[in-house]
Amino acid sequence: MSNFIRLIQNENMKLYSKKATWVMIGILAIIVLAVGLILRFMDDNNLKEYGDDWREELQVENASVQNDNGDYTEASYRVNIEKNKYHLENDIKPQSYGAMQFVYDNIGLAMLISLFTIIVAAGILANEFQWGTIKLLLIRPVTRLKILASKYVAVLIYALTLLVFLVVFSWIVGALLFGINGLNPSAVMYDINGYKQVSLLPEIIEGFGYRMVNLVMMATFAFMISAVFRNTSMAIGIAIFLMLAGNTIIPFVSQYSWAKYILFANTDLSQYQSGGHPLLDGMSLSFSISVLLVYYVIFIVASWLSFTKRDIAGQ
Amino acid sequence: MTKPAMQLTDLNKTIGKKQIIKDLSFSIYPGEVFGFLGPNGAGKTTTIRMMVGLMKITSGEVLIQGKSIRTNFKEAIKEVGAIVENPEMYPFMSGWKNLVHYARMIPGISEDRIKEVIRLVGLEKVIKEKVGRYSLGMRQRLGIAQALLHNPSILILDEPTNGLDPSGIKEIRHYIRKLAEEENVAVIVSSHLLAEMELMCDRIGIIKNGELISINEVDEESDQQEMQEVHLVAEPLENAKEIIESEQDIEVRVDKDMLIFSVNRAQIPAIIKRLATEEVDIFYVQAHRTNLEDKFMALIGENAIE
Ligand SMILES: Nc1ncnc2c1ncn2[C@@H]1O[C@H](COP(=O)(O)OP(=O)(O)OP(=O)(O)O)[C@@H](O)[C@H]1O
Ligand SMILES: [Mg+2]
Repeated sequence: MSNFIRLIQNENMKLYSKKATWVMIGILAIIVLAVGLILRFMDDNNLKEYGDDWREELQVENASVQNDNGDYTEASYRVNIEKNKYHLENDIKPQSYGAMQFVYDNIGLAMLISLFTIIVAAGILANEFQWGTIKLLLIRPVTRLKILASKYVAVLIYALTLLVFLVVFSWIVGALLFGINGLNPSAVMYDINGYKQVSLLPEIIEGFGYRMVNLVMMATFAFMISAVFRNTSMAIGIAIFLMLAGNTIIPFVSQYSWAKYILFANTDLSQYQSGGHPLLDGMSLSFSISVLLVYYVIFIVASWLSFTKRDIAGQ
Repeated sequence: MTKPAMQLTDLNKTIGKKQIIKDLSFSIYPGEVFGFLGPNGAGKTTTIRMMVGLMKITSGEVLIQGKSIRTNFKEAIKEVGAIVENPEMYPFMSGWKNLVHYARMIPGISEDRIKEVIRLVGLEKVIKEKVGRYSLGMRQRLGIAQALLHNPSILILDEPTNGLDPSGIKEIRHYIRKLAEEENVAVIVSSHLLAEMELMCDRIGIIKNGELISINEVDEESDQQEMQEVHLVAEPLENAKEIIESEQDIEVRVDKDMLIFSVNRAQIPAIIKRLATEEVDIFYVQAHRTNLEDKFMALIGENAIE
């Protein structure tokens, strides 16, 4: 076991010795900072603070955009009438914007983490072949399976590191720009059944959780391509192309019954959230999880077979 | 005889339909430097890849200290340090980190051992620099350093002097000899240069088209009765030719300004003395061991990479 930990240590050392790895972390940091600054200084509506007379303020807002029954003014795009009504009807004071809200708003950046993880997963094996270092790596008293596993685990650790970084850095930037508004503030959010009040922390965990499913699947896919073709750019290219194009092809093939077996139809598990509508007929949460598991096992076995059974020959 | 450190029996490798290695068998013993000589494409690297388990063996066996590389990979490979083809390292890490990386993969390598190996190959000054900035010779040394980290009993070096300058070659040669003689390491060195091999090997195996053609001992003190081919440049050439032919009753060939003839090694001094007393100016004399040289040249001569 200590043996395995040393292998992971090695993978991390190689990973963090490369500039590209730090560039990815830097890009993530810059984007979080930029989003925060734009929100703080360009868009004042989100950040509106309501006083003790918040009920009147909301009524005024709603009235201001809808004075001539149904005839919206140009201010309407900034005011969410339905949301305001929900606040008024349920007597919930709108919360002011704070660090946790900012973290929540940055869940979408998990897409970027997926992208970076794919790049790392695509390179971690194929690079060794392209650098020629694979020969020196495999003439040690360590089985190929262990080396493969240490690389895969290193990819997952990298993804987790980026995720933790995104959350913590977003929170810090949020705290500095908007202040801290409790650790688990509530918020009024929209889902398929209309508005409702929710706690932010579970929402954040859930949001990232759904995106992790997609991340792990795509990273494992890139890892497999990298093991099979031993070529970094090819693995990055195919995986990113499929990640971006995968979802868009579903509508075109949705009339076929096999469409629901496509990986990308199943990677977004949030489609089964309460009241949600599955992407295609015949799909359910357990169906999607089974499909994902089958794909996952195929990816892992393919990586394992092509890495452990094939010759390490010249290029 | 002592137990072989490494033993190859009836080794075969077929890739696709092409048989690259054919029934290769030989043994390497502790304390000897074994030269693996052959023209480009002969199959040296392929054989080495099978020895260290990078390529699967189509048929046959490789035993390392009695342990099969096929069925007992972990135990067998512990005995081996190797460079396969170019010593590729991680260019974006320092030499030190590269060594730490390999040291972590084998239990029981202390930091002191890493430093010792660095001193041994003379890389102290640049070890903290990125390998990407190393010269080829420095990378070659780092390659040897990683192969020695765990005190292997067998060292396999695929063209270790490739890219080294003459002083570097001399140093490596010296170092390889020392490892064999003082630490009883069995060293396998591949090359396509006979002259270089003769200087550092105890035995030389010649391989061509995947087949072992012969194994020859390289003796320091050559047999006095051994026939040697002598190359001699002298002035005037015709005089020299006549003198040698009359003295030894042998045939002398003229190749441009050079005389070429074969005699017993013991007779060479007498010929030179005679030429000197006959007022012939001698500019150059070189005696080749006909045996190995001929075999290798015969082999290289019809060299066609198939
Ligand atoms: N992966 C491969 N697939 C097919 N043929 C191969 C493969 N690897 C090597 N060969 C062939 O095997 C033969 C031996 O190659 P090898 O690299 O072992 O030669 P070598 O003796 O090391 O030559 P060099 O002195 O040039 O390094 C060559 O004819 C080569 O074309
Ligand atoms: Mg070679």
